[in-house]
Amino acid sequence: MPFDPAFIVDWGSASLRLAAPLVLAAIGGVYAERSGVFNIGIEGMMLIGAFTAVAVSYYLAGVDIAIAAALAAITAMLAGGATALVHAYLSITRGVDQIISGAAINILALGLTNTLYRAVWGEVGRERVAGFPEVRIPVLADIPIVGPILFDQSVVVFAAFVLPIVAAFVLFRTTWGLNIRAAGDFPAAVDTAGLSVEKTRYAAVLFSGLMAGLAGAALALGAVRYFTPGMTAGRGFIVLGAIVFGRWNPMLAAVACLLFGAADAFQLRAQALDLGLPYQFFVMLPYLLAVLAIAGAIGRTRAPQQLGIPYRREAT
Amino acid sequence: MRTGDERLVVAARDVSGAPELLRMEEVTKRFGRLVADDAVTFDVRAGEIHALLGENGAGKSTLMKILYGLQQPDDGRILIDGRQVEIGSPHEAVSLGIGMVHQHFMLVPTLTAIENVVLGMPTDRPPLLDLRDARKRLVELAERYRLAIAPDVPVWQMSVGAQQRLEILKALYRSARLLVLDEPTAVLAPQEADQLFKIMRHLASEGRGIVFISHKLAEVKAVSDRVTVLRHGRVTGQLPTADASASELATMMVGREVKLGRTAPPMAGGDPVLELEAVSCQTDRETAGLRGVTLTVRAGEIVGIAGVDGNGQSEMVECIAGLRSLTAGRLTIKGEVLQGALRNPALLGLIPEDRYSQGLVGDFSVAENLVLKAYSRPPFTERGFLRWGRINGHARAQIEAFDIRTPGPLAKARSLSGGNQQKVIVARETQEQPALLVASQPTRGLDVGAVENVLTLIRRQRDRGAAVLFISTELSELFALSDRVVVFHNGEIMGEVPPDPALLGQVGEMMMGRSLASIRSEAGSAA
Amino acid sequence: MRAPILVPIRAAVRPIAYRAIVPLVSIAAALAVSAVIIVIVGASPLEAYGAMLRGAVGGIGSLATTAVRATPLLLTGLAVALSFRAGIFNIGAEGQLYAGAALSAAVALLPLDLPAIVHVPLTLAAGFLGGALWALVPGWLRAYRGVSEVVTTLMLNFVGIQLVAYLVDPIDGPMGERGASYAQSQVIAESAELPILIRGTSLHAGLLIGLGLAVGLFVLIKYTPLGFRLRMLGGNPVAARFAGLSEKREILVVMLLSGGIAGLAGAAEVMGLRHRLYDRFSPGYGYDGIAVALLAGSNPLAVILSATFFGGLRAGANAMQQSTGIETSVVLIIQALTILFVILGPLRGWARARAARSSESVEASASAV
Repeated sequence: MPFDPAFIVDWGSASLRLAAPLVLAAIGGVYAERSGVFNIGIEGMMLIGAFTAVAVSYYLAGVDIAIAAALAAITAMLAGGATALVHAYLSITRGVDQIISGAAINILALGLTNTLYRAVWGEVGRERVAGFPEVRIPVLADIPIVGPILFDQSVVVFAAFVLPIVAAFVLFRTTWGLNIRAAGDFPAAVDTAGLSVEKTRYAAVLFSGLMAGLAGAALALGAVRYFTPGMTAGRGFIVLGAIVFGRWNPMLAAVACLLFGAADAFQLRAQALDLGLPYQFFVMLPYLLAVLAIAGAIGRTRAPQQLGIPYRREAT
Repeated sequence: MRTGDERLVVAARDVSGAPELLRMEEVTKRFGRLVADDAVTFDVRAGEIHALLGENGAGKSTLMKILYGLQQPDDGRILIDGRQVEIGSPHEAVSLGIGMVHQHFMLVPTLTAIENVVLGMPTDRPPLLDLRDARKRLVELAERYRLAIAPDVPVWQMSVGAQQRLEILKALYRSARLLVLDEPTAVLAPQEADQLFKIMRHLASEGRGIVFISHKLAEVKAVSDRVTVLRHGRVTGQLPTADASASELATMMVGREVKLGRTAPPMAGGDPVLELEAVSCQTDRETAGLRGVTLTVRAGEIVGIAGVDGNGQSEMVECIAGLRSLTAGRLTIKGEVLQGALRNPALLGLIPEDRYSQGLVGDFSVAENLVLKAYSRPPFTERGFLRWGRINGHARAQIEAFDIRTPGPLAKARSLSGGNQQKVIVARETQEQPALLVASQPTRGLDVGAVENVLTLIRRQRDRGAAVLFISTELSELFALSDRVVVFHNGEIMGEVPPDPALLGQVGEMMMGRSLASIRSEAGSAA
Repeated sequence: MRAPILVPIRAAVRPIAYRAIVPLVSIAAALAVSAVIIVIVGASPLEAYGAMLRGAVGGIGSLATTAVRATPLLLTGLAVALSFRAGIFNIGAEGQLYAGAALSAAVALLPLDLPAIVHVPLTLAAGFLGGALWALVPGWLRAYRGVSEVVTTLMLNFVGIQLVAYLVDPIDGPMGERGASYAQSQVIAESAELPILIRGTSLHAGLLIGLGLAVGLFVLIKYTPLGFRLRMLGGNPVAARFAGLSEKREILVVMLLSGGIAGLAGAAEVMGLRHRLYDRFSPGYGYDGIAVALLAGSNPLAVILSATFFGGLRAGANAMQQSTGIETSVVLIIQALTILFVILGPLRGWARARAARSSESVEASASAV
């Protein structure tokens, strides 16, 4: 029976670990969409982040694990951010169709990472690199069942706990967040208030790239600790589903990501258990959940009004 | 627009002694070959309400966009308090004390009133958004100027009048000394406009300068101290309001004598074509759109619908077209309840409110737009295939018949001017001599020549026997064209009057929500 | 004095030539930037592109390979182009092609004794149906609930891949071949196979289906009332409503058609190339269809050229890897850069203005005749 405590701890722990990268990417995605720019390229930015993190970690082998991890994370973020700037330039300054721009970035990311992967590791094969440090909080981690799940985790999981709350606070209680929300709903008001719609959107998209890069680093270094070509495997797209599911609210989107992470974790374990259903159905589950969520979610909260529409000040 | 007796006469002041707040000298702005503003010189003094009068497209809005830093002039200079300044952005305009109340409100619908007010303003402890002090200050301002506002209500839930008050408060919150109001009465009923004028007077009396942009002569006469008239980007007149008569101003606006009179006495209609019986429906926001409207439009008559924009007129048009479902009542065209009236061009012709986004496909050619409804029928389609030769030939004929200015039938619709775009729509909709023609704000955004064209075309339809429903916010047009005037308020019909100019006051009151019955009984008891 | 017969021909060709400028310049720019990347990873662009060219068009075998690679891209490109014309983003072609492949494989594996002349169309129809069904839910949600089709189709792509993975699972998949080392179905009935066009190659009749469909869609879009409606929807959906168009029905129709064509792409791969249903048989044809459609400006006839280009890239990439050792993923870079340049539209304004002027002179000369 799959409901004995050992299974729950294992499953819960894995759920958080798998959900963490999704949460990080989702926070960035929420900001971008709230400002009016659809970032379908999160998948590609995560992939680039993953590759960069593993490559940096590889070249920093032997350096103190915390420093290496920090550097890996930072460079991954920068790589994701640089990619996002391309998307931002195309979408905001040139007003190009955002879905196509994002899709092209995904293809580019796949091609670049595959090519560079061979160039860096070539025939050497997969080597494990140092990952992100694990942290175990004493006392709290000793609480039965809940303890090991929540308090004996990789650093990224802790980040994924905290960042959604910070992100929500910034979005709803600061001037930055106000500007972003206004830019996505009625950019003309932002313009006539003397602020730059472009700068606001650039900042939001850049942030989404930084977070996607970090998410990629979390994906690669938080668990497996090596890079596989195409390792994001559609997680960046699931994040898009989580954003809608979460009504463009960072905390709710994080909850949605947790759900998807749990489904993903379950699917991996379902293969070992004989549950009567083929394991492929459990792999499908997160995606089906996302479609159901989207189908059900609409009608209650609307997307940012200007999502996907470039802003042009009227001439006369 | 009302008769002289009932007009709120606000004593115009002589402001020649007051200090000069703003001076725009020889300001010129070009967009390609179009000269929007041509060496415009214009000044505003402290305590003055200065009206900027002109038709749509005369250059008023562009001039003010330059003042607010949204556009840069190609020539000329701007002086604030006698000092020359460069206004590169709205930010700089605001810091110079210029406040703008836009015609189309610059409010974010999902944010609350107070959030909209503080957008872009520095805060005490950046970047934290502490709304308590801001809210206090907003409420103080609102009370002082009697601009009632609920600070924590999201804008999309506010009425249009409340949104405008919020726009004004935004400017006052930023300590504007020079306030520009761009066509503020476009969304107000006449009595609401009077309220606004009182507020403007109050603000001016405190030493502010107010620029009042309008194309409505009567209002300009009612509230301003001086008036500057623009036509085609040039100043055609600048004088104290008291010294100018309405017809002089009108002439300066359009360059020739303006006749707002009727061409023929009102006609009675024949058989009923459009019948609404106690029709109700909802708006997009799930509030009541129409509440039990009963209306008949007969063949050979023009029924004019008066009312402030947003009181159910759009919803009624959509119900007639079958684009909106009824929640109660019956709607018949020629006796039948129809769902797809739009698909039957012999029955219904519809000139939509927004010609570009509702009436045309911009990327389609003129020829394609002309067959937007008829494309699947012979002769344009035969044996399952479109016949482009016939479609283009038909277009050439229509272009000539309606005098549509275009390089050819293959030109894209978006390259046509507004007036010509409207001609394409009218040509298409009247092609099959529909029994019912619905014209929704057909003259919006058109210059006088184009307006006359459209009104003539509508009249012609009535003359050949169509039943015409004519919806407009321009009372002068309604009275010039309609055989009967019906007034809408809040989804209901307040009353119906013949198109007698003497009844304009009653129409105004009905637009504000009083029923004709109550107006008459009051008049009766007063007599 | 120009020969009168030449005037209309030249006038008709000129605007097309102008419209080809943006795609051509984009390809050139993409190749240039990719060359830089090739240098960075330590290889010679000349060698790389030379090998690619030989692999793509250097001989009958190469041309056949190019055509084989182009076939699924042609079909998915048409599917996506059709949806683009109506203003809809069908990025679910990948899932739809898996669904079409699955259903057609099911029909192709039926132990009925059918002659090819019946079995082949039946199997193709099943492929179309499979793809259309896969597009039904996102299409319905978009048409009747206003839900953006972008995320829903994207999610269903992954569901489609997993569905096929399950179906051909060697242990318990209903179509899976037991004991096989790779997840695949049994071989399909010979009567359901698409014939080979050139002996000795793997070029199959799927190409003809694609070409025929391209011409058919071109005629549909330009010369039929349905095509007019689609363009109206894509041009201005609000005006389309006011013109009496049932937007809901049209959106659904477009999604079903688009999904069905993508399903045909999957069916053609199963029936013509592999004769089996394989797990993950598509290296992303559905997504490539977006690039193909974009480069072709959503014009069905241009899709033929665009699919050939991308097919050539793929064929050439394999040859390039074999002879120079450079990764095939370079092709993805070229593909992505091509899209990015196309949407940036180098020289687009200039080309469009010249095209407009020359089409006006077409009209002038036509009316003068």
